[in-house]
Amino acid sequence: MSNILAIARKELRGYFASPIGYVVAGLYAIVFGYFFAIGLNWFVRQSMQAPQFGGGPLNVNQQLIRYVFMNSTVINLFVVPLITMRTYAEEKRSGTIELLMTSPVTDFQIITGKFLGALSLYLAMTALTIIHMAVLFIYGSPEWKPILTAYLGVLLLGGSFLAVGLFFSSLTRNQIVAGMFTFAVLLLLWVIDWLGSLGGPTFESVVSYLSLTGHLEDFLRGVLDTRHLVYYLSFITFGLFLTAKAVDSERWRG
Amino acid sequence: MIEVQHLTKRYGRVSAVEDISFRVERGEILGFLGPNGAGKTTTMRVLTGYMPPTSGKAVVAGFDVFEQPLEAKRRTGYLPETPPLYPEMTVREYLTFVARIKGVPGGERKSRVDAAMERTRVADMAERHCGKLSKGYRQRVGLAQALLHNPDVLILDEPTAGLDPKQIIETRQLIKELAGTHTIILSTHILPEVAQTCQRVVIINRGKVVAVDTPENLTRRLTGSETMYVQVDGAPADVKTVLEKVPGVTRVTVAEGHDGAAGYEVESEPGRDVRRDLARTVVGGGWGLLELRPVRLSLEDIFLQLTTEEQPQAPQGEATIQ
Repeated sequence: MSNILAIARKELRGYFASPIGYVVAGLYAIVFGYFFAIGLNWFVRQSMQAPQFGGGPLNVNQQLIRYVFMNSTVINLFVVPLITMRTYAEEKRSGTIELLMTSPVTDFQIITGKFLGALSLYLAMTALTIIHMAVLFIYGSPEWKPILTAYLGVLLLGGSFLAVGLFFSSLTRNQIVAGMFTFAVLLLLWVIDWLGSLGGPTFESVVSYLSLTGHLEDFLRGVLDTRHLVYYLSFITFGLFLTAKAVDSERWRG
Repeated sequence: MIEVQHLTKRYGRVSAVEDISFRVERGEILGFLGPNGAGKTTTMRVLTGYMPPTSGKAVVAGFDVFEQPLEAKRRTGYLPETPPLYPEMTVREYLTFVARIKGVPGGERKSRVDAAMERTRVADMAERHCGKLSKGYRQRVGLAQALLHNPDVLILDEPTAGLDPKQIIETRQLIKELAGTHTIILSTHILPEVAQTCQRVVIINRGKVVAVDTPENLTRRLTGSETMYVQVDGAPADVKTVLEKVPGVTRVTVAEGHDGAAGYEVESEPGRDVRRDLARTVVGGGWGLLELRPVRLSLEDIFLQLTTEEQPQAPQGEATIQ
């Protein structure tokens, strides 16, 4: 455990010692802020118009926060490859991987450490959006429980993305290649439900089950469903497992 | 302390190391000598558990590096060819991180880091970022990293590469100090380095062990060669008969000469230096001695193929008169 934490801390320090950590967090904050501002503007206008058409008051959770979070997941497509592309690739290029692999730590500890390091950066980045939520709490009265599940969902989605990124980073010593592959695969997973319309009903349900974002819906609605929890956790486990296999096969090939 | 048995490592079809075996006793310094691409780094990577062998076995500090990698790694310090530094960390941060993953207990970390920096003379750069260090300092921080957790076995891949002459002497001195308490394998392609630091030498070429011996024996076999080339200004038949009579000489063959004088290859009994007698005989016979030099044996040919010659620090009684 202490090995995992040592590596996770080293990773996190690496992000903030280079511009990457700041670029990633800054990029995320700007785009999220933009989505939030647009969403809020729309919401305020709708709220003012609703009584005129005989509608009740709008729900902040369902009609603002949920959409903002859903939209913001698209930022992950761009940001996650930036976070993960260096994890393995850079260590392989600079030779520091030799230090890790000749130290008394297991591959599992290295991979988990790197994953947790990346996840911490992701968490820090997401934590910036608490400011936006705080604004809502000051001027309105949203429910906090659905916000909490939304954050959990966003964290799990991010974890799954990072697992994909980590895997591709372990395949190459070139950061750019790792980043491009991660981006392409995440994009494909993003739109995989488009395939659904091409096959029969069974095929459609299989494909929609695979969709990474599909499983986020319930979290954002405030529903904590173990099916989705299991989906994300097994996705992450599978990604890290593939990474472990890639590292091991690299070891054999030399 | 270290035992390598029939180790083979192939990359696809290319074999980098082919069936090599050697032993290193506790407290010994073993030199690993060979040209670039001979398989030194591959062997070291197998010994440190970086990669598994294709076949064969390596035991370090009593643990098979493949069967019990963690136990073996705990007892091994490794300086790879490029020191594995994280440019964004300061030297102290870096060494503290290494101490952590090498399993140095929390209470001892600081003192171990300080001790390692002191030993390798990098303490003055403790707060400098690793990425901003000169080559010499990087190499020494790499060395500090290797001996941080006080391992039984130290594996150093070209520890003096990139250092200036003063630093090379200091590093060699440090390595000698470390022997006794540590068992050391160091690789190099510089011959005198081996002679000065190591107790035993493994010469490796194209993935195979060519020779295992002490540097003294190797040096003797190299410089005290047992065939002399002599060029004498005189009638070949007469010279040949006279040379054959010199005590210790076993065989004389006429070889190619130049400048109108014939050359002779004079073989002598092993371990016997016949150069003085040869010279005296030739001069005593009234002929001119134009050249007298040892003919390089095949081992030296291998050596030449193997090694980049560094200027020898002290003249070793070369008998070359040109």
